[in-house]
Amino acid sequence: MKTFLNILLVLLLAAAANAKEIKLLNVSYDPTRELYQDYNVAFAKYWKTKTGDDVVVSQSHGGSGKQALSVLNGLEADVVTLALAYDIDAIAQQGRLLPADWQKRLPDNSTPYTSTIVFLVRKGNPKTIKDWDDVVKPGVIVVTPNPKTSGGARWAYLAAYAYALETYGHDDAKARDFVKRLYKNVPVLDSGARGSTTTFVERGIGDVLLAWENEAHLALKEFGSDKFEIVTPPLSILAEPPVAVVDKVAKKHGTADVAKAYLEYLYSDEGQEIAARNFYRPRNETIATKYAANFSQLKLVTLDQEFGSWAKAQKTHFADGGTFDQIYQP
Amino acid sequence: MKSNQLILASLAGLLFISPAPAAEDAATNSAGPAQIAPANPAEAAEIEALRQEVRELSQKVQNLEQERQVGQQAASDTNQDQIQALDQKVRILSRERELDQEAALAAAKTQPKLTLNASGFTIASADSNFIAGLHGVIQTDSRSFINDGGGTLGKNTFLVRRARPIFSGTVFKDFDFNFTPDFGGSGVVIYDAYLNYRYNPALQLEAGRFKSPVGLESLQSDPWVLFNERSIATDLVPNRDIGVELHGDLIGGAVSYAAGIFNGAPDYTTPSAPAQDVEDNRAFAARLFFQPWKASKITPLQGLGFGVGGSYESDRATAADLTAGYKTDGQQTFFSYAGAIANGTHWRISPQAYYYYGPLSLQAEYVISDQQVTRTAAPLTSADLQNTAWEITGGWVLTGENATYNGVTPKHPFDPKSGQWGAWQVVARYGELDVDNAAFAPLAPFAAAGSASAAQAWSVGLNWYLNRDIRVNASFSRTTFSGGGLGTTAITAQPENVIFTRIQLAF
Repeated sequence: MKTFLNILLVLLLAAAANAKEIKLLNVSYDPTRELYQDYNVAFAKYWKTKTGDDVVVSQSHGGSGKQALSVLNGLEADVVTLALAYDIDAIAQQGRLLPADWQKRLPDNSTPYTSTIVFLVRKGNPKTIKDWDDVVKPGVIVVTPNPKTSGGARWAYLAAYAYALETYGHDDAKARDFVKRLYKNVPVLDSGARGSTTTFVERGIGDVLLAWENEAHLALKEFGSDKFEIVTPPLSILAEPPVAVVDKVAKKHGTADVAKAYLEYLYSDEGQEIAARNFYRPRNETIATKYAANFSQLKLVTLDQEFGSWAKAQKTHFADGGTFDQIYQP
Repeated sequence: MKSNQLILASLAGLLFISPAPAAEDAATNSAGPAQIAPANPAEAAEIEALRQEVRELSQKVQNLEQERQVGQQAASDTNQDQIQALDQKVRILSRERELDQEAALAAAKTQPKLTLNASGFTIASADSNFIAGLHGVIQTDSRSFINDGGGTLGKNTFLVRRARPIFSGTVFKDFDFNFTPDFGGSGVVIYDAYLNYRYNPALQLEAGRFKSPVGLESLQSDPWVLFNERSIATDLVPNRDIGVELHGDLIGGAVSYAAGIFNGAPDYTTPSAPAQDVEDNRAFAARLFFQPWKASKITPLQGLGFGVGGSYESDRATAADLTAGYKTDGQQTFFSYAGAIANGTHWRISPQAYYYYGPLSLQAEYVISDQQVTRTAAPLTSADLQNTAWEITGGWVLTGENATYNGVTPKHPFDPKSGQWGAWQVVARYGELDVDNAAFAPLAPFAAAGSASAAQAWSVGLNWYLNRDIRVNASFSRTTFSGGGLGTTAITAQPENVIFTRIQLAF
């Protein structure tokens, strides 16, 4: 017995001596700070148990478009967890840092969780905002980030546009006019979702914040449900923020295996629970049912349904000279 | 409001008027409360009409009062809305300013940095991975030879001793470059052209044309040499050479090393040395220098440094590997070879040291240059000539600033209007050079006629540092000659006495 324990001790010491520290950089979009703070702890614990190695994950957060540009300009991300597939497509096509078919490598088009756009209003909802029509009324001050830099802002724009299409019989001209009226009510454009939350919640600007669902819940949690309330419009867009390993960087760092496991673990029960607790809609139906009370019921339209694809939506609405540039006058 | 008061006054008036008949009646009818007893139906009707009018007026007053209150409330609500709207505008403006500042900060991080100061002009990328700098040295001298009567006079002259733009910089963070042409002489000469890779401060690789790592005074940067010309000890060390060198600083700079392979350079190479090796053999040069107390708290020893440099090559029967001649401070040749070629080994060793403490500076080195030579005319003898030299240079900054290997920085740059006069330094130097007597063998000499076998030089001077970039100096040098036995020239027949001045711009 004593011999066995000695052997075990030696093996454990050898394992500890051989345990290595692996560093990953996760370049993410703006509002996922709290999610990945919790998730990274969980993944590190899981990986340590599985392999004995220590994983230290550093985070970078910012508007999804800006983050993609940073990666293209040399920020060495092992993984990217951005707001929309288009931004990761840009990294694949322009930077050739990962293959073009990256989205097929993980389930659900590499989107382990989903979200949507809701309204965060002042307590008591003094402007009686219930739906998208109320948001475009004259005199209503709307806070939303810049679609040129923020993924959340692009989802919000498309949610409003989709509502207008559904309401006005898919009349593009009327939909354009609708979003024009919306952005006429927007006095300040932050570069990312977190900045807009700061503008609305901390700087006290605006009557309504077009927010990521998780951001709205976090605002209530942090600043108090006595100051704000969430209004869920009857219709919004299904936002699918994807994740991907940046192959060239992970290969250079020797972190390809860990990076892949890091993203795969998002689909595990623990990963899905963490997403749900942070107000992201989990893909796992059992866990979604468990946390159903966290999420309002509403009609969710998809991007493909209303706009065809991200490439088309980007080209039509957000590229230089697109619809947003035409309708928004600062 | 005034109309309301008028109405109330009218009512009050009516009230006073109405009871008057009752008061009269009361006087005649004392029992019970005063009653208005109509005198006749007409009066009764009139009274009733007046009452009705009073009631109507009273109602009107009430209505007006209500309307006034409603109006006040509406005005208050409007004011509140206006205040809220203004509050929002102020917050929006404040937030816009905040976002503009954030954007400016973010943009500043990616903007290149331009610097123009005493160290020259530099432009660097935001991450400092790419840097380009323009620096320069301009030295305008005068040399005046005195007491040189008889024979060929030393040439009194003004000259642009150095006019060098220095293009230097860094690419991709770890690769430094330097390109330095000189326009001071009769033609353009490339002095330095090299690339240096910094793996880390302890391990660097330099390739191109640069100073050979042997002589202490030779390695000192031109603007910071205390006199117009380097000492005669530097005559024996190589100047610039073309090659590859590994070098670095260890233990925080307490130890510096350099070791390289070069084409090989004769003693006192002129800047216009051949662009490629004149024969197949390579030269090895190395230097080790110690500053053990550089980072210590023992202040008096922090500026003490000592080391040794050396070189070795095997020359293959070529005159080009022999020095063109050893020169005085006044740049006149007092020794040269004639009818001889370098043929065999050529090694050098140079123990060296310096000491800087406050305003005091001391620098000394000893050089041995041992060269095998062969005569080209009968008798075809060979010899192993060992030439030696040494020098010691001292300085004292009168105004108290610290003296360093890299110059003096005035505490109070020259600004006469503010009573500031820069920094002043007195300097002195003594050196000797001794050529192997075997070079002067009477029947088979290797030296040119008129060469001296020894020279002794002393110098004194005053340096005025107006600021970090501009220096003015004046000095006197005297060089005496001895030995040889092959006659004298106008130069070696008499001591050389030279007064130097210089105006220097270095940035």
